[in-house]
Amino acid sequence: MADTLGAFEQAVLLAIIRLGEDAYGRAILNDVATRLGRDVAAGAVHATLERLAAKKLVASRLGPGTPVRGGRARRFYRLEPRGLRALNDAREAVDTLWRGLRWPLKGSA
Amino acid sequence: MNTATPPPWAESLLRAVLAPSEFETLAGDLLEEYRESRHALLGARRADGWYVRQVFGFVVRTSMTWGVLLGVAMVARDALDWFLPPPDFHTRAAASTYFAMSVLLMAGFRASWRSGSWPAGGIAGVVTAGIAAFISLIGAAGLLAVWHDPRTLAAIAASGGLSEAFTLPLFAFVPGMLLGTVGGSLAAAGRSLHPV
Repeated sequence: MADTLGAFEQAVLLAIIRLGEDAYGRAILNDVATRLGRDVAAGAVHATLERLAAKKLVASRLGPGTPVRGGRARRFYRLEPRGLRALNDAREAVDTLWRGLRWPLKGSA
Repeated sequence: MNTATPPPWAESLLRAVLAPSEFETLAGDLLEEYRESRHALLGARRADGWYVRQVFGFVVRTSMTWGVLLGVAMVARDALDWFLPPPDFHTRAAASTYFAMSVLLMAGFRASWRSGSWPAGGIAGVVTAGIAAFISLIGAAGLLAVWHDPRTLAAIAASGGLSEAFTLPLFAFVPGMLLGTVGGSLAAAGRSLHPV
């Protein structure tokens, strides 16, 4: 069965795609916060990345640290084929819901 | 390069609740954001506040499942006592006490096992008790807001009264710390016997 993604999971996966080779924790956090237009807790992004990794939608590797990080390593993420499929399915599901409607919606509702 | 440092106690707290491999990368991410962005934008004090909030976010997340489990059980116990009062509360009280003790022990055990840090158990116990108390208070207030007919109020009085429903959860912090510490100690002993 295809993996169903929540909106926040999609935001994290899309951030990983956008950032490419530079998709590590802090960069993902900032990208998600910018796209969602609000401050995002580092713990929320971390928990989501853990969940996505457990579902094998993303994989990670450690990279070298930098002085500004106190020499601590960075964890870089990339999408697995399964993650890409899940994102495509999520987009298709939204497109299907909206098919036949004009955006933005107009009316008295 | 900005060499400002966040509050050392907050970093120690983060180290206590995370697995060493997680701490390495997450503390690095937080420090980088703190130095390169928050400190310059917000100033030292507000940047420290941001850092502390992030750390508390991690601390709460590590105990959220246990806290919600205990909180829901406490609300269920209130609902049972108020709507299905037994002739004798002893059995029910004993069952819910042992359940709460088990949850706090497990929260401490799990937190220490995961992080490899002995103090994580006590921290998890306190946080679990706090989350449970919050849910319990909100739940009891919600039940009371909907059902406050004379029959229910009489059942509440017979089960210990409103004061018990609204103050007992707040007394869970000390048992939470003690049982969490016991759970954490068991995990530390287990890890020393069977290193992960």
